[in-house]
Amino acid sequence: MTDVQDKAVSAPTAVAEKSGGVVATLFRFQSVFGLLAVFIAAIIFSPRRDGEILFVSADNLANVVRAVSEIGIIAVGMTFVILIGGIDLSVGAVLGLAAVGSAVLMVESDWGFLPSVVLVLAIGLVFGALQGMATAMIGIQSFIVTLAGLQIARGLARIWSDGQGVAIAYGNGPNEAPNSFAILGERTFGGLVPIPVLIFAVVAIAAVVFLRVSAFSRHLYAVGGNEKAARLSGVPVIRVKIAVFAICGLLAALAGIVHAVQLNQGSPNDGIGYELDAIAAVVIGGTSLAGGRGSVAGTVAGALLLGVLNNILALNNIESNIQLLIKGLVIVAAAALQRLRPAS
Amino acid sequence: MPQAAALVRMSRIGKRYGGVQACRDVDFTLGAGEVHALLGENGAGKSTLMKILSGDVTGYAGQIEINGSPVSFSGPTDAQAAGIAMIHQELDLVPGLPVADNIFLGRELRTRLRTVDRRRMEREARALLERSGVDLDPRRPVGELRIGEQQLVTIAKAISLDARVLIMDEPTSALTTSEVERLFVVIRELRRGGVGIVYISHRMEEIAQVADRASVLRNGQNVASFDPRTLSTAEVVEAMVGRPVQTMFTTPDAATGDELLRVENLALTPRRPRPGRRDPAGISLTVRAGEIVGLAGLLGSGRTELLETLYGVAPGGTRSGRIVLQGQQIQPRGPRHALRHGIGFVPEDRRTSGLVLFHSILANTVVSSLPAYGRLGVIARRMERSASVRMADRLRLKFGRLQDEVGTLSGGNQQKVVFGRMLLTEPHLLLLDEPTRGVDVGAKAEIYRLLGELAGQGIGVLLASSELPELVGVCDRVVVLRDGRDVASFSTADSAEGDLLAAAMGESAVFEDAGGAQ
Repeated sequence: MTDVQDKAVSAPTAVAEKSGGVVATLFRFQSVFGLLAVFIAAIIFSPRRDGEILFVSADNLANVVRAVSEIGIIAVGMTFVILIGGIDLSVGAVLGLAAVGSAVLMVESDWGFLPSVVLVLAIGLVFGALQGMATAMIGIQSFIVTLAGLQIARGLARIWSDGQGVAIAYGNGPNEAPNSFAILGERTFGGLVPIPVLIFAVVAIAAVVFLRVSAFSRHLYAVGGNEKAARLSGVPVIRVKIAVFAICGLLAALAGIVHAVQLNQGSPNDGIGYELDAIAAVVIGGTSLAGGRGSVAGTVAGALLLGVLNNILALNNIESNIQLLIKGLVIVAAAALQRLRPAS
Repeated sequence: MPQAAALVRMSRIGKRYGGVQACRDVDFTLGAGEVHALLGENGAGKSTLMKILSGDVTGYAGQIEINGSPVSFSGPTDAQAAGIAMIHQELDLVPGLPVADNIFLGRELRTRLRTVDRRRMEREARALLERSGVDLDPRRPVGELRIGEQQLVTIAKAISLDARVLIMDEPTSALTTSEVERLFVVIRELRRGGVGIVYISHRMEEIAQVADRASVLRNGQNVASFDPRTLSTAEVVEAMVGRPVQTMFTTPDAATGDELLRVENLALTPRRPRPGRRDPAGISLTVRAGEIVGLAGLLGSGRTELLETLYGVAPGGTRSGRIVLQGQQIQPRGPRHALRHGIGFVPEDRRTSGLVLFHSILANTVVSSLPAYGRLGVIARRMERSASVRMADRLRLKFGRLQDEVGTLSGGNQQKVVFGRMLLTEPHLLLLDEPTRGVDVGAKAEIYRLLGELAGQGIGVLLASSELPELVGVCDRVVVLRDGRDVASFSTADSAEGDLLAAAMGESAVFEDAGGAQ
């Protein structure tokens, strides 16, 4: 009986695969094609000045990527969490905590560049790991755990900063951050690539490689695909979950450092709502919220797509409220496309 | 008893699923006020026949008449409208909703203002439950109830439909003795009211108590019909099994090695009670290297729970007794621990517990043995590929590419992937739970061949199965469990399927002293 049902279920899939090679490919890389489509649309609708298409000017493109680098870094971590079937709502707050932390440590506590960055990254890592423990060992849903984590991180940031934004000035004197920190915010690397973009690129490439070659990634996909089967197969489910939340926390803290250096301050209100943009980038990138299916490459494309969209709307002076509406529609459209994906 | 005009007459019913003929020219009748027991092994076609009657299965051959007029159901709703209700083996209740809401699900009672009339629903539910002899608060969420109580709720729900035909598929599998007694009172009352009841069960003594007639199906065909009160278990079992053990079984190699696993008086008292589960309550057995030991027993006898305890996935609680593996006492802590000790496990339901259906064959095959393919946590793709290919060859896996989703394979081939994954961990002891469920005959034979091969290499196998021919054909020895205890042990060389079935069913006449021995 079961066997018969198996066949009934698998038959249509087989047919879909055979008849839909091209379609399947289109769907598989939907986020890349989506990005391409939005990019072309951006060129078409871009305002021009003296015949030059403003959107594709080197400065503007660098700005696009720079604007998405923080969300992009967070979204890479979010992809890991969503791949195991979880969610992390705390990333925006952890970003704020890290921004405040960098500013306070370097400006008010006169810590050096390296110790500050290391401590802030460690805070993000531990914060994420603790959330991972709460969800993996106690069994609370990650939505709840990280909703609580969001409040806690935000609270810690306010306490640490006395509720004030901490401005970062550079120099060698007291209450000044070391100049080495400023380098992180340098406009360019090799005269072309902004440093935050470089950090985003390194994180993204490392994540892609990690997910391709590591044994850990197989475990991660298995946990997201079928947690019970993974456990019975000897996958260390609890360890995988803790590690994934720790990675996500670490990357949120890294994004917080980038944020602080770009704005020359750390405020406890930094990063509000960033978790939602990160989730949107992951979803547009084709990663399934049910877990076990998706990729970092898709997420990068998703983040860039959102960035291009924001940029072209801004270039055309479209009101920010309308921008929100359009962004919302794009997310729904991306999710709808995923539903249409040939059964798999 | 009453044999009035046929309430239901099913003639020459046939149903084919792909290559499997589930039912072939089956005739079945049910009179008003009759309890007709339907017997047969798993896969004999009982459920298919009844699903056809209840409208769950369509596209069959043959004819169904209700009260003499032909009917054709296009779905369960049609059958319900014709007064046919089925109590499924799998309970279809919403755990979060109270008992009363479950009983009236989809046909809620309304007030004049069209709002849900909670009070009336609760009142009527209470009356229904009382009629069914159940003492339950209709406001309690179904999820809090024991499986047995849930079963009673589904029965009350079915009764509330005022059906003329009631199909009960193993209604007592999780009930206590006193609950069974009360259910029988209800059944007799329904019978007096002219309801026809189809009663599917494996329990011989229940059938003798409650049924007016018993029919046996085998391989999708009628084979016998009995008056259950004049019937001996031996006769029924013979009719159910009724065939020489098939040659598809590899004759096991008698030469077995040293003792591999010894379980002494294993018992588990979980910290929290587990409704519907039968944790080990004193099980002793041994498995020697190269030996295939079967675990027989009815649903709820504790086979799965024993395997889970040995694999370390049973719930926390107090464990007593000893588990000795290769001369060393072990306390299984979990799958990783068990796998490190060379214990592999193939779970009962490969779809929910075995595979990630939408992941590739490759990923599913290597997931338990990953660290072996590469260094420092980096996978050498060529190594894992070659391991996967080697296993696919060995298991004669039928597949397109290793990248294909495992869910596209047939049931038998999916099962081979789960097997292959465990074999790649190089186990000494394999725990198998219903390894051939839902597997076609060809793949079955290959799994049996594989088991013989593994035993030949000195791997010990503990095989839980509800298919008696399989147990007798594949195993060297079979241990029968009942109520979480081992009640009998047979060497398959000198036992027949009937002995096993009788011991599992608790027929003391056929197997004397079995229960007392423990």
